[in-house]
Amino acid sequence: MLKISKLSARIGDKSILNGIDLAVNAGEVHAIMGPNGSGKSTLAQVLAGRQEYEVTAGSVSFAGQDLLALSTEDRARAGLFLGFQYPVEIPGVNNVYLLKAALNAKRKAVGESEVDAYEFLTLIKQKMKLMQMSESFLTRGVNEGFSGGEKKRNEILQMLVLEPKLSILDETDSGLDIDALKIVSLGVNSLRSQNRAIILVTHYQRLLDYIVPDYVHVLSGGRILKSGDKSLALELERRGYDWVRESAAA
Amino acid sequence: MMVNSAMRSFEEQWQRRSIGLIGTAGPIQSLQEQAMRRFVNLGLPSARDESWRNTSLRQLAASHFGDALDVPCAPRLEPIEISWLAASDIPTIIMVNGYPQLAWLDRSVLNGVSISTIKDIAKTRPGYLINLLEPLSDLEQRRWLLLNSALFVDGLHLKITAKINTPVLIIHVSSGNARDGVNAPISNYPRVIIESAKNSSATVIEHHVGASQQSVFSNSVSHLDVEDNAKIQHYRIFSTDANTSHIDSLDIRLGRDSHCQQFTMILGGGLVRTNLEAELNQPGAALENYSLLVGRASRHIDCVNIVRHNARNTTSKQTARAVASDESRVIINSKVVVEVGAQHSESQQSCRGLLLSPKAEIDTRPQLEIHTDEVKCAHGATTGRLDPDMLFYMLSRGLDRNTAQSLLVYAFLGDVLTNMSVVGVRSAIENVLIGQLPNSQLLREFQ
Ligand SMILES: Nc1ncnc2c1ncn2[C@@H]1O[C@H](COP(=O)(O)OP(=O)(O)OP(=O)(O)O)[C@@H](O)[C@H]1O
Ligand SMILES: [Mg+2]
Repeated sequence: MLKISKLSARIGDKSILNGIDLAVNAGEVHAIMGPNGSGKSTLAQVLAGRQEYEVTAGSVSFAGQDLLALSTEDRARAGLFLGFQYPVEIPGVNNVYLLKAALNAKRKAVGESEVDAYEFLTLIKQKMKLMQMSESFLTRGVNEGFSGGEKKRNEILQMLVLEPKLSILDETDSGLDIDALKIVSLGVNSLRSQNRAIILVTHYQRLLDYIVPDYVHVLSGGRILKSGDKSLALELERRGYDWVRESAAA
Repeated sequence: MMVNSAMRSFEEQWQRRSIGLIGTAGPIQSLQEQAMRRFVNLGLPSARDESWRNTSLRQLAASHFGDALDVPCAPRLEPIEISWLAASDIPTIIMVNGYPQLAWLDRSVLNGVSISTIKDIAKTRPGYLINLLEPLSDLEQRRWLLLNSALFVDGLHLKITAKINTPVLIIHVSSGNARDGVNAPISNYPRVIIESAKNSSATVIEHHVGASQQSVFSNSVSHLDVEDNAKIQHYRIFSTDANTSHIDSLDIRLGRDSHCQQFTMILGGGLVRTNLEAELNQPGAALENYSLLVGRASRHIDCVNIVRHNARNTTSKQTARAVASDESRVIINSKVVVEVGAQHSESQQSCRGLLLSPKAEIDTRPQLEIHTDEVKCAHGATTGRLDPDMLFYMLSRGLDRNTAQSLLVYAFLGDVLTNMSVVGVRSAIENVLIGQLPNSQLLREFQ
């Protein structure tokens, strides 16, 4: 589904990604862990099409297309979803309008007609129930005045409505209370299927108890230093990152 | 003094109508004479005048203006055809080049408002009129009031005496066909006086529209005289054509516990300069001013607000939102003065600009002048481009760039739009507004 080869990117003169190789197949869940500032969010944003980052080398194919050649909106329409580490507040733009516009943009791209208003409302209410969000969030501005945890739930709500092929969830677990972590995990797991894939960026093994990954990668200094199965996360939890860096340097 | 074509034509206009407003000698006539003399002495403002630093009148100065007709070429104008604010259930008064067309008015729909021409007021209540016209002032922001006072030939007087629920619409039409012929620019001098009697409440909308092939200079003046405990919601909406230069001055006087909500919306015109001067004269007076300024093409918008707190416990709130695209320019100067004796007054000023193209310009300058203690005054001004994080977020959800941008612009203007409580007016304005933003069709869905 996603194949990243030797991807390097920089912002200004600062090189952040330094040759990333990663392959994600349909049906898989990958976790990316790594120290602060190692480039995890940068990777996520480069994949989603943030123009500020300049790709200096490498290639990315997504569902048979050259991902880097697509505009941000076309990547979304092709089924890529980024759950932001810091979802932005957009006062004055209604949460439900954005969702509807997003869904319609995607439907239009695949040649489907616009969603019927009633159908849409039924769908969204059902998903909100799953995320245990009050319907009052519908009429508010996008993330406007939402608490940290509410913003993250709203990201997952959008994901559930858009049903992306590939979801990249950047620290969706940080800022969530214990119950919310379960709710969010439930939401994510509901989307796991043979024809979808998920990349979880996280600092905590705890999330991986709920959403069990097939692979765990350590990203450091803009490179993937080590990959393993879910036991790697447990080891990282115990030993930190230094040993990974040291053994990679050796 | 600057000798130029425009000044010459103003003087010629004065010569032609030196019989003045009521056609006889008397205090009003001498006031008009004095106003003309002072205007001629001052000449047109130049870049040396503080409040005209950013607005050049060179093009206006080079024009020669003929007199505008007092009736349009067509026998009768239908409100629906000339104003997008008109509706069958809204009492409407049409002013053609400043001349009220009261014969077209269906008076039966109006209760609680008495309507007359200023000509009539000049005869029946000359003292009241003189009191409104005086004092003549040479201050730069009042200079155009001098010219209007000298050259206005008639105008509209509304006295609101009760609480009225339906808005009253005044359509100002600048109509071509100058008396002296073909394709010459014309100028007009509309004047409106609105008196809100004690305890009354009303909504009055002044809509400036163009219906002229010729270029027009409109020098309009309105007064809002809001008595004790009265409430008024006043709109001035400019949607004239690009060939119109408009200088509009609005004077507001507020009595005890009175409340005025004023909306200034610029959605058209080539050059639009608006002045607002509000005097909060009695305790408890409150003013809210909302400005929505849309610059596009080569439109030039220059907004000057001066709000004076002259009594204790007065409050004012000014909210201005400007969007500029193409090569347009928007300037906002708003000043709050808290005079001695106006303790416990509160004022807020929020000016924000949004630039949508690299060649557009927005300048905002909120100012405060406080002459007393124990006041609460806040002001803020920012100008920027669309937030790249917000834009990226929306694009990452699959919205196309135009839709995302339009939604953000629309959201930006929300601080003004959401305060418009007359639903019909709000949706009419939103419609026109959306037409001026990119990708208008898609945006309609989000209303
Ligand atoms: N716009 C930018 N301008 C300058 N430096 C940037 C920019 N974006 C990212 N960086 C730098 O790139 C490096 C990687 O940042 P990134 O946000 O990808 O880290 P991360 O792995 O997600 O960290 P965290 O775990 O703290 O979220 C950091 O040193 C960061 O300061
Ligand atoms: Mg990060």
